Amino acid sequence: MRKMTRYLILFLFAMLVTIVLAACSDSGDETATDAKDGNSEKEVTSSEEKVEEKVKLTIGSWRTEDGPKYEKVIALFNETNPNIQVEFSPTKNTEYNTILNTALQAGEGPDIFHLRPYAAGLKLADAGFVEPISDIDGLDQYSENYLAASKGADGEQYGVPLNISSTQFFYNKKIFADQGLEVPATWDEFIEVNEKLLDAGITPIAMGTKEGWLLSLTHGIVGSGVLDGNVFADKLVTGETDFSDPAFVESIEAMNDLKKYFPANSEGLGMDDIRTIFAMEQAAMFPLGSWEIPVVSELNPDLDFGFFPMPSKNGNQSVTTWVDGSFAINAKSKNIEAAKTFLEFLTTKEFGELFVDEFKMISAIPGITSDDELLGELSKTVESSSTPYYWVVNFVSGDPTTKTVLETELQGMYLGEVTPAEVAQKVQGNAEISFEPFK
Amino acid sequence: MKNSSMWSKPFYYVIVFAVATISLYPIFLMFLSSFKTSAEIFKDPLGLPTKFTLDTYRTLMGKVPFDQYFMNSVIVSVTSVVLVVVFCSLAAYYIARFKFSWNNAIFFIFLLGMMIPIKLGIVPLFILMRDLGLINSLWSLIFMNIATGTPLTILILTGFFKTMPIELEEAARMDGAGNLRVLWSVLLPLMRPALGTVVIVNFISAWNDFFFPLIFITEKAKMTIPVGMLSLFGEHSADWGSLFAGLTLASLPMMILFFIASKQFMEGLTAGAVK
Amino acid sequence: MMTTVQTASKKKGRKIGKSWTIHLFPIPALIIYGLFVLYPILAALSYSFYSFNGFSRESFVGFDNFVTLFTTEPYGSMFINAFKHNVLYFGLQMVAMNGLAFILAFIIYKKVKGAEFFKIAFFLPRLLSVIVVGFLWKLILNPNFGTLNILLGRLGLEELQRAWLGDPNTALVSIILVNCWFGLGFGVLIFLAGFQSIPGELIEAARLDGAKGMTMLRKIYLPLMVPSIMIMTVLTFIQSFEAFELVYAMQGSMGEPYYSTDTLAVFFYRLAFGSSTSGSSDALGVGSALAAVLFFFILICTMIFLKFTNKKEVEM
Repeated sequence: MRKMTRYLILFLFAMLVTIVLAACSDSGDETATDAKDGNSEKEVTSSEEKVEEKVKLTIGSWRTEDGPKYEKVIALFNETNPNIQVEFSPTKNTEYNTILNTALQAGEGPDIFHLRPYAAGLKLADAGFVEPISDIDGLDQYSENYLAASKGADGEQYGVPLNISSTQFFYNKKIFADQGLEVPATWDEFIEVNEKLLDAGITPIAMGTKEGWLLSLTHGIVGSGVLDGNVFADKLVTGETDFSDPAFVESIEAMNDLKKYFPANSEGLGMDDIRTIFAMEQAAMFPLGSWEIPVVSELNPDLDFGFFPMPSKNGNQSVTTWVDGSFAINAKSKNIEAAKTFLEFLTTKEFGELFVDEFKMISAIPGITSDDELLGELSKTVESSSTPYYWVVNFVSGDPTTKTVLETELQGMYLGEVTPAEVAQKVQGNAEISFEPFK
Repeated sequence: MKNSSMWSKPFYYVIVFAVATISLYPIFLMFLSSFKTSAEIFKDPLGLPTKFTLDTYRTLMGKVPFDQYFMNSVIVSVTSVVLVVVFCSLAAYYIARFKFSWNNAIFFIFLLGMMIPIKLGIVPLFILMRDLGLINSLWSLIFMNIATGTPLTILILTGFFKTMPIELEEAARMDGAGNLRVLWSVLLPLMRPALGTVVIVNFISAWNDFFFPLIFITEKAKMTIPVGMLSLFGEHSADWGSLFAGLTLASLPMMILFFIASKQFMEGLTAGAVK
Repeated sequence: MMTTVQTASKKKGRKIGKSWTIHLFPIPALIIYGLFVLYPILAALSYSFYSFNGFSRESFVGFDNFVTLFTTEPYGSMFINAFKHNVLYFGLQMVAMNGLAFILAFIIYKKVKGAEFFKIAFFLPRLLSVIVVGFLWKLILNPNFGTLNILLGRLGLEELQRAWLGDPNTALVSIILVNCWFGLGFGVLIFLAGFQSIPGELIEAARLDGAKGMTMLRKIYLPLMVPSIMIMTVLTFIQSFEAFELVYAMQGSMGEPYYSTDTLAVFFYRLAFGSSTSGSSDALGVGSALAAVLFFFILICTMIFLKFTNKKEVEM
């Protein structure tokens, strides 16, 4: 036994040496040689471009469900750029960050990739993994708000915004008609609708609290009602007010009060469950994002549903929006010029129209309309009356992020572990560390 | 003896039947649900499907190159298992049967691999694989399966080598057999139960591994079944019938292989018992 | 002639006689294992001594990350919370999985009819991928469409119905029991192999001495089963403290609801890789420190345990 201990100590010592060696060698070559690599690769690329050889681009994305749609996008792109071969190779949503980050850190990865919006994606840009693209054509058409989703701290543009997501309540038109209900125009009417549905024995809101992200998303919608659309949000992001504001606490209390309108066992329901409940007409309303429209329609093609923007106490109405992903270029790509050509294509009206038709999502390109009635109407509302989804736009920094703290604490509130005031307090505590204007 | 079996036998059967039901029911449910539509699953989760068609399976198989995934999975799993069992038998024999002073330390170093999440090292691993030129190569998966399977395999085999009576080995040595001969023709045949366990366990983890293929394989032609099927999950997140069909397709090859091979393993187990 | 044979049969003599080639035996396993497991882990453990800003490693900070892990909120309380869950994971698995597996292996060893069928049946869940297991049980435990609640309803046990995975009181226990369902067959196989390698003569001899029932179990089976019990205990211990995949597949990287299913490995994953919606985390340094702590904890416990069982084995 003593001998064994001696060998183990020897081994642990060897381990320590390895650690130190690994640490030293890593820090040495990762910075120095990588920079060199990048330069030489770029030179090679430009000389290759002149010969007009066929180049191949790969696109990384978390949208596994969009494979066939991207094939159409690529076909359209090849009509004008036959020399650039493009392959869409998505990976599973939940593993996307790990896979992409690992590859990027090793100087590999797809040429073009789907960038998470705002701080989450910009971390990659700050680390030097993303090629700045401020010089490509077509960026000037986007609104500053949309470009901000992928603008680095250095002022460079790192991504082409792809789609706008908006969150709002969807409602079952048939149930509303049967119960003689009108779409609510004020917060009080909204509560009234819920009460009437409850009295009629119908679950008013298909919502579950098992998955945290649904809670911040719902607060984005409900909060804009209680906090009167942009009024609070504008003051919040400049630091004029913060989460200790009684109005914010009120919005959390309002979330808590909605629980009685949720289905039974709501603490155990996740995304798939609530979507199914709404699609199977077991609940009248469904607070979720624009991306759910095609999914719900696929689940129940006969379902007749619409949306309403969240009404506030003063009768202001708004949907909550943000840029949900941009396309960016890998700084280590061997085909940066070709990749830029593809990104320029993503800014064209032709692409925008194809995107809206095929993907059933709202394009970030201005002036693109949709033939789909529901989506077209929603696009119009997004342009006319929207409020920013500040949890994603402004509060995804820190560890855990402020958004995560909100989600966890709201979950705790629904489980009866914390009070609404405590939720606000914890969110504020976290934001004071990570949100610049609060410091 | 007789007395105890009189009351204990029925009791035994109650236990094994109850546990077997719990073990099998969820799997049965998965098969059953793959023939249902989403609406049927939600409205009557326990009921039988209204009609049996293989349509879902056909469309799923048409969407992905299932035969390609299957071949890749077979190549990776079989190669990994053969190599891990050979290498670990050699190493475990060395550790268990020889009393070199460093043996315990070697044993422990092998066990270290079980005590830390290998995911931690994914970035250095990726760089290593890139430098070895193994990205998008099935060898990256084979090496990972061997390396990650080694600790458990060594642990099990060393334990069983230690239980082998030393006299058997000594008899063979007196006949002039070398180390390899002793290991191959005397000890390993007696270790069939343990080898069977080790083969099954390594095969399953090699077959079901999805983390490493996700990271190291980006070409569709090199994907294994779990990863290929994983991409289907994303596409059909609302279509529960297809999802269950996908789950069944991902699990079925392993089950069939197990049924074919299990006789072999179980015979190995009984053979071990007779000895 | 006689003397050489005698020395050769002694352990010391044997290894001298068989020359250096024997030292080649562990080499292939050591090389592959060293290259693809030890090296990357050691390289990554070095991260625990550095501070990180996003992806860029900044400066060597000694043990600062370890101090942060235990003294800075919310890390400190998250660590304790997750650690408690790992302990429960281990305890419950030892009783519900290994205890049951031991009994089942004994029953099969006693030659019930259809032993082959039962062996396969118990083992079948182990063939599934963890993703499949997680998905399947999420559906069974679903509060509104799930089989379990529906069954309880039909049996008239409505008061037992609940949101199994959404209720913090039942979520973790549910996941652990699913893990037991998954791992049971492996335990049965290991214990069965243990029972079957007990020499038949020993049992016969004991029986002739008039041993039966509990005496038989205590004097013959248990001591001879020590190797397999030891293997299963060590494996369960390690697996419990590294519990990740099933929790991640069923509840995601946040240990939802309200951190009630958080484990050390999930906590580590969250720190090192971030959650899927919020991008990656800044806490790679603290995450690596957590992995190092977890590693040394498991290492020390396993060493103590092996030392203890080695002694026991010798005594018996």
